[in-house]
Amino acid sequence: MQTILRAKNVQKVFGTKGNLYKALEDIDLEIKEGEFIGIMGPSGAGKSTLLNILSTIDTPSSGEIMIANQNIVRMNEEQLSDFRRNKLGFIFQDYNLLDTLTVKENILLPLALSKVPANEIEKRVNEIADTFGIREILDKYPYHISGGQKQRTAASRAIVANPSLILADEPTGALDSKSATSLLESLNALNEQNQSTIMMVTHDAYAASFCKRVLFIKDGRTYTEIHKNHQSRQEFFQKILDVLASLGGGH
Amino acid sequence: MTLFSIARKNIRQNFTNYFLYFTSMIFNIVIYFTFVTLKYNETFQATSDASPKISSAFSGAAVVLMVFVAIFIWYSNSFFTRKRKKEVGLYSLLGVRKKQIGRMLFYENFIMGILALIIGILLGPVLSKFFVSILMGVMGFEAIGDFSISLAAIVNTIMVFSLITIITSFQGYRLIYRFKLIELFQADKEGEQEPKSSFIMALLSVILVGIGYWLALQNLMESNAWKEMGLMVTPLVILATVILGTYFLFSTLTVYLLKMSRKNKRSYWKGINLIGTSQLLYRIKGNARTLTIIAVLSATTLTAVGTAYSLYYNNRSNVELANPISMMFINKDKNVTNQVRDIFSNNKNHDVIYHKSIPTLQINADVTTLKNNLFSNEMMYTVISVNDFNTLAKVQKRIDKLSLMGNEAAALDAGYYEGMSPNYIGSTISLKVNDRVENITFKSLKKYNVLNYYTASTTLVVSDQLFTQLGKETNSVKMEVYEITNEDEAKQLTKDIQLILPDEARFSSFYADYSAGMESSGLMIFMGGFLGLVFLAATGSIIYFKQLTEANSDKGRYEILHKIGVNKKEVKRSIAKQVLFVFALPLIAGIAHCSVALTALSRLMQTSLVIPVVICMGVYTCIYIVYYFLTVNAYYKIVTK
Repeated sequence: MQTILRAKNVQKVFGTKGNLYKALEDIDLEIKEGEFIGIMGPSGAGKSTLLNILSTIDTPSSGEIMIANQNIVRMNEEQLSDFRRNKLGFIFQDYNLLDTLTVKENILLPLALSKVPANEIEKRVNEIADTFGIREILDKYPYHISGGQKQRTAASRAIVANPSLILADEPTGALDSKSATSLLESLNALNEQNQSTIMMVTHDAYAASFCKRVLFIKDGRTYTEIHKNHQSRQEFFQKILDVLASLGGGH
Repeated sequence: MTLFSIARKNIRQNFTNYFLYFTSMIFNIVIYFTFVTLKYNETFQATSDASPKISSAFSGAAVVLMVFVAIFIWYSNSFFTRKRKKEVGLYSLLGVRKKQIGRMLFYENFIMGILALIIGILLGPVLSKFFVSILMGVMGFEAIGDFSISLAAIVNTIMVFSLITIITSFQGYRLIYRFKLIELFQADKEGEQEPKSSFIMALLSVILVGIGYWLALQNLMESNAWKEMGLMVTPLVILATVILGTYFLFSTLTVYLLKMSRKNKRSYWKGINLIGTSQLLYRIKGNARTLTIIAVLSATTLTAVGTAYSLYYNNRSNVELANPISMMFINKDKNVTNQVRDIFSNNKNHDVIYHKSIPTLQINADVTTLKNNLFSNEMMYTVISVNDFNTLAKVQKRIDKLSLMGNEAAALDAGYYEGMSPNYIGSTISLKVNDRVENITFKSLKKYNVLNYYTASTTLVVSDQLFTQLGKETNSVKMEVYEITNEDEAKQLTKDIQLILPDEARFSSFYADYSAGMESSGLMIFMGGFLGLVFLAATGSIIYFKQLTEANSDKGRYEILHKIGVNKKEVKRSIAKQVLFVFALPLIAGIAHCSVALTALSRLMQTSLVIPVVICMGVYTCIYIVYYFLTVNAYYKIVTK
C-alpha cells in the first residue's frame, strides 16, 4: 500500500533565545493509504502542534514532511493554500462552518474554490449528503441545525473534494455521546468503504477505539503505538485505557 | 489604574479604527475655523464690494457645518459605543459599576474630541491661510498680504466644538444605562439572519425613484403634474420619493438582486464568489440607512458644487454674451466723451482694439402683437442700422451678415429664453415716432447682441433707408464703443471711467460684470467645495469604520477559509469586490441623482453643465477611490492578521 504521509525528525521550537520551548522533540510518523489513525496524548504533549504542522497551517522548525509525494516544508504560501485545498480535508472541534452559507453551500465550498462545474458539484454534494444522512437539512443555515448535524456537515465538506488525507481535530469534542457515536461510525464507514485515509487527534479513548491504529505522544516524543488488528472495539478500547494509565498525567 | 488612563489606553489601541474618524473631525474643525475666520476678517471683507453678503454667507455655511459636525460626531459616538457592547459587558461582569463605565466612555469621547480640537486649532491658522489664498484665486482677487488670524475666530471655534464634544460625550455615558448585561454578552452571538427579499418592495423602490426622476425632468412651464401640485410642493415630493426610493433600493432591491444572482449556480458556485455574495447579502440590509444618507449627501454636495462650478465655469461666456464690448456708454456730453477718449489713449496697460461711435435711436414700440404676458405693451428699444450691425459683427469676429430691405427688421436678444421670450420671427410691431407709427416685421432673430445689454438692452436692426428716415423724425443718440486688450484685468481703467461718467450714460463694462460673477460664483465654489469635502470625509470615514467593524466580525470566517485552502490573493480579490459594492452603491446613486438634478437645472438655465459637472464628479470619485483603497487594505490586514 502506498504511503500517504511521511514525517521524519519533525521538531518544533517555540519562543526566542534563552526562553526556548520544544513542543515537538523528534517525531517520526508514517501513514499509509486507507489507514484510520488516532493520535493521543496528555494535554501539552504536542498533539495540536503536530496537527497544525501536518495540516500546513504551521511550519516545523526542522524535519521533512511528505504528503502525497509532495514536500510541504519547501512550499510557499500560495502552493500551500492550493495543497490544502486539493489534498487535505479538515474536521474541527468547533465545526468551522461559515454561518452565512447554507449547509449545502458549506459542503460545496471546496469544489467551488477549485472551479468544478456546477452540475458535477450538485452530483457530488448529493452523494455525500446521503452518506452522512443530512439530505433534509441541505438548505438550512448552520444556526438552525444541531451540533451533530453541524459536525456531519463539516465532515462532508472535508471529504467532498476527495482529499488524500482527512485531518480531524477532536471531532467529537463538542458532541453528545449519541451524535459522537454516529459521527465516528460515519468516519469508520468512510474509511472502510471509500478507503479514505483519516488522521484523528483526540482526547477521548472511546473515539480513539474506532481507529485502526493509535499513536501516543508525550512531551513531544512518540511514546508508543498500538494496533487494533483483529481485536473487537471493546478490547481495543481497554488497551487504549491501559496505555493512557501508564502515560499518566491529565489527558 | 484610573478610569482616565484606561480610556487613554483604549484610544491608543483602537487608533487604526478611529484614525479616519479622527482625521475627518480635525478637517471639520479646520474648515469651520476657516469659515469663521473669513466671517470675522475685515481685510478680506474690505477687498470685496459685497462684504455684508459674504459675511452672512460664511455665517450660514458655518452653521450648516456645525449642525453637520454635531450629527456626525453624535452618530459616530453612538456607533462606537454600540460596537463595544461586549467589552462593556466584561467590565460589568468584573463588577465595574455602570457609572464608572459610563465615565470611562465619556472620557474616551472627550479626549478624542479635545485632541481633535487642539490639533484643529493648531493647524487651523496655517491651513486657513492656504484655503483663503485658494479663495482669493478663484474669486479673482490678488492675494492679501497681511491676512491675520482673528482671536474671535479661535474663541468661536473652541466654544462651539467644546460644546459639541461635551454634549456628544454625555450621550455615550447615557447609552450605557440602556444596555442590559445579558444583551451585552449576546450582542455578537445573535446568529445573523438571512434577510428576506420581496419582489414588490424591490419594484416599489424602482418606481419611487422613477417618479422622482420623472417629475424632476418635467418642463416646469408645461407639466400638468407641476401645475397640480404647485411649485412649492413638487420639489418636496421629488425629494421624498427619491430618498425613500433610494432607501428601499439599498435595503430590498440589492437583497433581491443578490438572491437572484445566487440562482445562477454557474457563476455563484465559482471560486470565492460564494463567500462574497453571501456576506454582502447578510450585511447590506443593515447598511441601507447609512448608505442612503451617504447617497443623498453625495447627491446634494455634487449638485451644489456642480451648480457653483458651472456658474464659475460659464462666467466668462455669460458675461461675454451680455457684454460683447469691453466698455460702452451713451454719449451725453461731448466734453466727457473726449475726456474718456483721453483716458483710453493715455492708458498703457490696455490697447484699444477698436473704437466706434454708433448712431442709435431710442424708440418706444407697441409690442401687443408679440403676445407675451411677461412684457408690458410698450417697450423701449435701441435701434441700429444694418450697416452698423454688419461692421460690429465683423469686428467682433462673428461670421454673421444681415441684409434687410424696406420694413424688415432683426431682433438682437442676448437674453433670449425659449418659451419665455416672444416669438419674434414673422411678427410685426409698431414703432412710435413723433405722432405716427412705423410698422416693422421681424425677418430674423439673433440670440446675441453686438451692443452691451445694460447700455442698449434689446436691440433692433433695421434697413439703412428706414434708419435714416426714422433718424430724421426722432433723436439720434451716439453710443461709444471701446474694445480693449486684457479686458478682464481692467479694474483701474473701469474705475476711472466710471468716475467721470454720469448715470445717464449707462456705462457698461465687461470687467465689472466679469469680476462680480467671479466673486459670487468663486465664493459659492469655495463654500460648496469645502462643505462637500467635509461631507465626503465624514461619510467616507463612516463607511470605513463600518467596514472595519465588519472585518473584525468576519475574521473567524476568513480564518476558516484560510484553513480550507483559500489563498491570500483570492481573499484580497473577494474583499475588494465586496467593499467595492458597498462603496459603489451610494456613489452611483449619488451621481445618478445629481445628474438628474443638474439636467433639470441646465434646462432651466439653458446652458450646458456637462464639462464642469463631469469635472466635479471626477474629483469626488477620485477622493472616494482613495477611501476605497484605504478600506480594502485595512480590511485585508484585519482578516489576515
